[in-house]
Parts: sequence; C-alpha cells; structure tokens
Amino acid sequence: MGKRQLMLLISLMLALSVFLAACSGKDDKGDADKKDPGKDEGKTEETEGEDAAEEEELDFPLDVSNTGETIEDGTLNYALVSNTPFEGTLNPVFYSGRPDAEVMQFFDEELLATDGDYLITNEGAAKYEVSNENKTIAITIGDNVNWHDGEPVKASDLLYAYELLGHPDYKGDRYTYTIYNVEGMEAYHKGEAKEISGIEISEDDKTITINYLEASPSLMSGIWTYPVPRHYLGDVTKGEVTIDEIVESEKIRTTPIGFGPYKVEKVVPGESVQYVRNEDYWRGKPAAESVVLKVVNTSSILKELEAGSIDIAEVPADQYLNAKELTNVDLLAKIDLAYTYIGFKLGKWDEKKKENITDPDAKLADKRVRQAMWHAMDNEVIGEKMYHGLRFPATTLIIPVFASFHDADNPGRAYDPEKAKALLDEAGFKDTNGDGIREDADGNEFVLNFASMEGGEVAEPIAQHYIQNWADVGIKVQLTDGRLHEFNSFYDMVESDDPKVDIFQGAWGTGSDPDPEGLYGRTASYNYSRYTSEENDRLLKEGTSEKAFDFEYRKGIYDEWQELMVEDVPVAPTVYRYATTLVNKRVANYSIDQSSDNYYPWKWGVTQKDPVK
Amino acid sequence: MLTFILRRILVMIPQLLLLSVIIFLLAKAMPGDALTGAFQGNPEANAEHMEELREKLGFNDPWYEQYGRWVTNFVQGDMGMSYVHKQKVTSLLGNRLSNTVLLSLTTMITIYLIAIPLGIIAGRWNNSWADKAIVTYNYFSIATPVFIFALIMLFIFGFYFSWFPTGRSVDITIQNGTWDYFVSKANHLVLPTLSGAIIGTAGTIQYLRNDIIDTKLKDFVKTARAKGVPEGRVYTRHILRNSLLPIAAFMGYEITLLISGSVFIESIFSYPGLGQLFIQSIQTRDFTVVSALVMISGAAVIIGTMLSDIILSIVDPRIRID
Repeated sequence: MGKRQLMLLISLMLALSVFLAACSGKDDKGDADKKDPGKDEGKTEETEGEDAAEEEELDFPLDVSNTGETIEDGTLNYALVSNTPFEGTLNPVFYSGRPDAEVMQFFDEELLATDGDYLITNEGAAKYEVSNENKTIAITIGDNVNWHDGEPVKASDLLYAYELLGHPDYKGDRYTYTIYNVEGMEAYHKGEAKEISGIEISEDDKTITINYLEASPSLMSGIWTYPVPRHYLGDVTKGEVTIDEIVESEKIRTTPIGFGPYKVEKVVPGESVQYVRNEDYWRGKPAAESVVLKVVNTSSILKELEAGSIDIAEVPADQYLNAKELTNVDLLAKIDLAYTYIGFKLGKWDEKKKENITDPDAKLADKRVRQAMWHAMDNEVIGEKMYHGLRFPATTLIIPVFASFHDADNPGRAYDPEKAKALLDEAGFKDTNGDGIREDADGNEFVLNFASMEGGEVAEPIAQHYIQNWADVGIKVQLTDGRLHEFNSFYDMVESDDPKVDIFQGAWGTGSDPDPEGLYGRTASYNYSRYTSEENDRLLKEGTSEKAFDFEYRKGIYDEWQELMVEDVPVAPTVYRYATTLVNKRVANYSIDQSSDNYYPWKWGVTQKDPVK
Repeated sequence: MLTFILRRILVMIPQLLLLSVIIFLLAKAMPGDALTGAFQGNPEANAEHMEELREKLGFNDPWYEQYGRWVTNFVQGDMGMSYVHKQKVTSLLGNRLSNTVLLSLTTMITIYLIAIPLGIIAGRWNNSWADKAIVTYNYFSIATPVFIFALIMLFIFGFYFSWFPTGRSVDITIQNGTWDYFVSKANHLVLPTLSGAIIGTAGTIQYLRNDIIDTKLKDFVKTARAKGVPEGRVYTRHILRNSLLPIAAFMGYEITLLISGSVFIESIFSYPGLGQLFIQSIQTRDFTVVSALVMISGAAVIIGTMLSDIILSIVDPRIRID
C-alpha cells in the first residue's frame, strides 16, 4: 500500500514538473523579448503611425509598417503553414491543393494581371483586347517575357495550357466554364477534333486569339492565362509525351520552370523549396536575392515567427490571440474569399434532368420560417467569442471582397429574436400544446435535423450555439444522428439530399468570379438547398449576359439578386472571415491588398540581414 | 529452415489476399471519394466534369470490377495513381519511405540503446533506488502522449536553446551530397528521434527487467552461483542470454513500426513520411494510396512475425521449427 502511494506521489510530481516546464517556457519568452528592446523600438512607432493612416473600414492593416530600402542580397523566409507536406505538383494545370499554389506563386504567374475586383487588366505580362461583341479576346504577350531557361513565352505556350486542360486524358478539376466555353473545345475534349478551332495563334507567335461560344463577364475574372512551357515539358499534341508522363515528370515536381520573379533552385519534396532571383524578370529586378519556403506545422508557427526564422506566414484563426502578442511582426488581415452559411433543404436534385427541383411541400417551404431562423442566429457572438473578432456577421451572398458588387447597404437579417418570433407567429408556427416548442402550421410536431461538420475545437460549440438560438424562438433543432459529421460523410449526405438533413452548415470558397450561378443556379448541383425561382434564374442570367459587361448594369443586377436572397433565404450567410498574415518587421514592400503594387512577390524584400526578434 | 520459410511465404498469400479484400471493401464503404470536396480548392470546378472524371477514373464501376483491376495491377507492381498527389503510388511511397525508414531506424536504435542498459540495471538491482527511478521513468514515459512530449522537446531544445533545427529533414540551402549535407540531415534527425525514443522505451525496459528478475531465481542460476561462477559472469553468461530472448524475438515485429512511421512526430516536425501520408490519404479518400499502405504494412506484419520466429530459432537452439 505504502509503495503504491509513493508511486502516486512521484507520478503527480512528474506531472507537475511537466506543467512547470511548460510555464517556464513562457517566462523565457518574456525574457527573450526583454533582451533586445532597443532593436524594435524605432520600428514599432512607425507601425502605429502607418496603421492609423491605412484603410479606415478595416480593423487590420493590409500593408507592412516597414518602409525602408530593401537590401540587394536578402533572403526571404516564407512559411507554408500546414500539418501535411505539400503535394508538389508544381504546375497550374495539374496541381490540386492550395499548398502547391503557394509554392508556385514565387516562380509562376498569370499573363494577365488582375485588379482589386479580380478583373483582368492590361498591367500584366500580356495585354488583352476584346472584340466581336465581347466574344473574342486577343492576348498579346510582351517581348521581354521569358521562361526561366531563356526561351521567350509564346502564344502557343498559352494555347498549350488549353490543349492540356481540354485533353481527353486530362484528369484534373480545371476543365471549367471559361475553358469549355471556348469555341471548338467540346469537340477537342471528346477527341473528335485534333485542334481547338476557336483559338488562333499569330504569325510571330506572340498573340493568341480566343473565340468564345457566349459572351460572359465571368471571362473578365476567370479567363485562364497561365501558359505552360511546351518546349520544356514536351508536346502532348505531337505525341512527344503523354499527359500521364508529364504529371509524373520531375519537370513539374522538382525542376519546374515559370516566368515569375524567382527561379526554383531546389525542391526537397514535401518540405521546402529554395528559389533564386530571376534577373530576367519582365517587371524588373526582384527585391530579394533568394526565397526559402518551408513547411511549418501549425503548432510551431508562432514560435518560428517569434524566433525570426520565418518572415511571412499565414496563421490559422485559432492562434490569433497568441499571434497578437508577438512584437517583432506586423499582423495583416483581409477578408477571405469565403463565407459560412446555414442551408435549408427545399427540394431535390434531379439526376436525369440535371437540375434542381424545388418541392413546394418541403418542411421549410415557408420563407417566413427561414427568415425567422436567420433572425434568430446570433452571429456576432460567434465572431467575437469563438473567433476573437476574426469572423463577423455576414449580410449577403456576395462577399465584401468584391467591393464593387457586394451591396454594403443591404443589412441582411440582423440578430432579432423578437422579429423571428413575430415571423413564426405570422407563418402559423405556434406552440399549441404548451411545451415551449412550436408546432408547424398544421399543428404537427416540428423538429429540424441539423447537419454540421466537425473540425477544430469550435465546431461543436458553434453548432450548439445555433441550436440554442433557435430553441430561444421556439424551434426545436437537433443534430443529425446526434453528432457532427466528418467532412466526406457530411458532403455525401448533403449532396444526395439525404432526408436526415433539413438544415446544414457549410462554407463556400467563392473563387475570384462574383457570379453566383455555380452555387445557386437552377442547373447547379452545388446548389445544395435546391432552391429555384423564376426571378433567380432571370437575375443570374442577366448578371452574366452581354449587357452585364456594363459595370453599373451588372452591379444593379447583383444588388437585386442579393436582395432576393435576403428575401427568400435559401441559405442564410452566417459569417465572413478574415485571413491573417504575420510578417516580420524586416520585410518591406509587402501587401495583401489585391490592388496594391506590393501584392506581387517580386516587390517583397528585407531591409536588414538579420530578422527582427 | 528453408522449408519453414517457404511454407510461411505460401501461407502469406491467402492471408494477404484476404486482407486486400477487406481493405478494399472497407475503403469503398467510406463515404465520398477522391473528388468529393474538389470544389473546396477550386470553386469553379464543374460538377458535370467531375462526373465525367469519376467515370474516367472508374470510381463508378461496381466494387468487384475495381477490385479486380486493382489486384491485377498490384501483383504486377503497379499500385495505381494517387489522385491527390497526381503521381504513381510507387514513386510517391518511394519518396516518403526513405524518410520514414531513416527516422524509425534511428528511433529504434536509440530505444534499444536506452532501454537495454536501463532494463538490465533495473533487473539486476531491483528495488534499489536506481530501479525505482527507472520504473518511475517508465510510468512517466508510458503516460506521456507523444504529441505533447514532441512539442515540449521542440520548444525546449529547438526554440529556447536553439540547439537543433525545428523541423523538416534537411536544410535546403546546403548543397546536396556534401559533408555538411549529411551533418544537416543528422542534425535534423536528433529531435524527432529523441522525441520518439525517450518515451518509447517502457515496453522493452519492463520486459527485460521482469525477465531478469524471474531468471535470477531459476535453478540453473542458483547452480551457477553454487559452482562459484563470479557474479558478473552469472549475469552475462547465464541470465542475460535468456532474458534477451523476448527482446530479440520482438525485433521482428518492430519492422512493422519501421515503415508505419509516427503521424504525430512527422507532423510536428514537418517531416514528410508515411505516417502522415496515411492519415492524409484517408481524409482525402485517396484510396490507391491507402490500400497500398495497408497492404504494405500488412505484409510487413506477416514478414515481421516470420523474422521473429527465425531470430528466435537462431538465438535459442531449443526452439526449432520445421
């Protein structure tokens, strides 16, 4: 007995010592900060002065505080924050995950640059001209644009990208609207034609003319302008290589080339990439001599930043509170291209007709009930308490990132439980048996099944929070199967219109095209709520019609559409989100503002050899 | 011996076949496939084209057809394409395997280097203060979750003292193949290895300790002592030989550990290995990779068992299997 107690005591002491070790770790951090206060001081003041002057609407700056001169021979350390290695398919046609896109941004880019609204401009490596009632676009590549091996970037290299994307053997997910809308693409895709009839190359191989089947403003933001180095990878159309061989090839894995500001010097698969300055870059001389990209685990990224071994990193929202405490970095944030929403199941997807069929007798067919449920949700609390202000209540289905299309005057449906109750009363959903829960208009029991995804420690509290919110106005909601669902099974249920799901919480990445047709159209299979209406069809069609090339007209249409969505509530947007980036104070000319010159990697440089610690 | 090995290999075939059917069926029973959620990375992804792709990749065929295809290719050494990595599974595994084997091998060696001396000390002088300290360490190591321990190691030795690199397998700025390169590789191995090894010793220590204590009281040891064999020789010649048997036998199984890798350590130290790949592939429903990995570790278990038997029969002549 005595022995066992001793063991217990010892193990307790050991456990305690672990905690103590952890605590002392924190103290050390404090010490380390105190060691060199002089180093940062000057810079900190700069930060504050600058921050105040920047963007008034946002709480966060978009640009770094350091405005010093960048040094010639600096090395920029960039973190790819991820718990898994990057896949390493380093080609815009074939890659699948975001990590690979982050790796590519330093050595490859699109020929056409985009502005703050993600619309193409003539500021990039190529210039464009639209003709034939917006159905034809001619892209002319600049003379000084060369691949890293010295070969000029040709129009036929851009054509090659289209030939790969449309190829019958292509197995990626980028055969999208802007690709199959090209004249002759379908025949080529089916293998009926050897060439894409709608694309022409000029004599000097510098101008490519693409003809489209239908004119759509979506092309202005979604057009594909990543060329693929035909001479380097080999030509699939001439039978030199097969697509599978290219995908397997080291030429897109460890020795890829592009025409971006940095050349890939070395790749350690899955963990790091070293780049060197491309002296021949068409915009000018890139600021840093070299860039090192490293994969860093989410649990150690803040420590790396604090130690100064990383200059730039996008930090997950759940580390924001600790990230704020770091003194040697600037915290930048902008609204992410995504929103979270609650969807209401209103019908079914018809596999044969390939369209959404709205069921007029659906459980949630009465739009007043849906409106009420939106009013009942307190999203402010979610943003404040669970995301520390990094998320905030959403109003409409076009996110504020599209500054020109997002209707800032549309308030959406704010948290207002009284209004929710009134709407439910009006819809005839009353508590007839006195148990505190509303019955439906016919007096039947009304219980909704709510599907939500697991992931992160806040997933469960958020789901419970909404369930409580709805209970407060008298609607009984329960989790489907009584639990959260794993990503794949969640989408499996939602996609197949499983009757176990009445409402669901999902999120959409919006991409750079404001057109919502792909998510809410009659023939869109991602329209998971299965909502359809004549008015919706009309607005979505108008929004991408020929007339919509007129900016004001398109804006008006999208304002109307946002209003319709707030009225009909097929889905209730819940929160918009900020993405935060931490940048060491030695980095200058860095911005996350899409419309800034400093958004482009070639400008990013460091002003001193050693990182600010 | 030869017939024994041959027989074992023959038995392996139906075992592996059965395993493959089970794996395949379970994998297919999981909701979703490699294309589910593709729109997350690419919101413009076109649903119709996704369907076309599923057809092209054969995801829509009945399971026995898919299985038949898979098995035929598998026995020819073609494990298929990873959809997520867009790469042949064989080359993908090849990349990761070397990392994992290196890390696991050093971890295993370190475990033995720590555990065998400690086990011997604890067994020989049981109930001494040294024994108590070692047993306490055992409790500690068995109770500490690896993901916490690895983080603590990382923070103390990686960040606070800055003695070792904080992640990845090598410093990319160093020229391949130079001396510095190997030093850098070794240096990058230290923290992940220690994180795995220091808390991975409990089983071996405990086995060894108990066995020594048991053997100490056996008749032949008493006889040896009665004959006047010096105490040191009693241990080296009589006790240890016997007590190390189970450890030696266990070695075969450790082969499995060698290739399965540690998800947590690989993830925390951003060390690209098989453990992480396995989890990632399950989450993304990259079935070809999952099946290949399960088959390989299945085969490793079976081979490991066989090796254990062989090692045993070599070190212990009393055990002869045929």
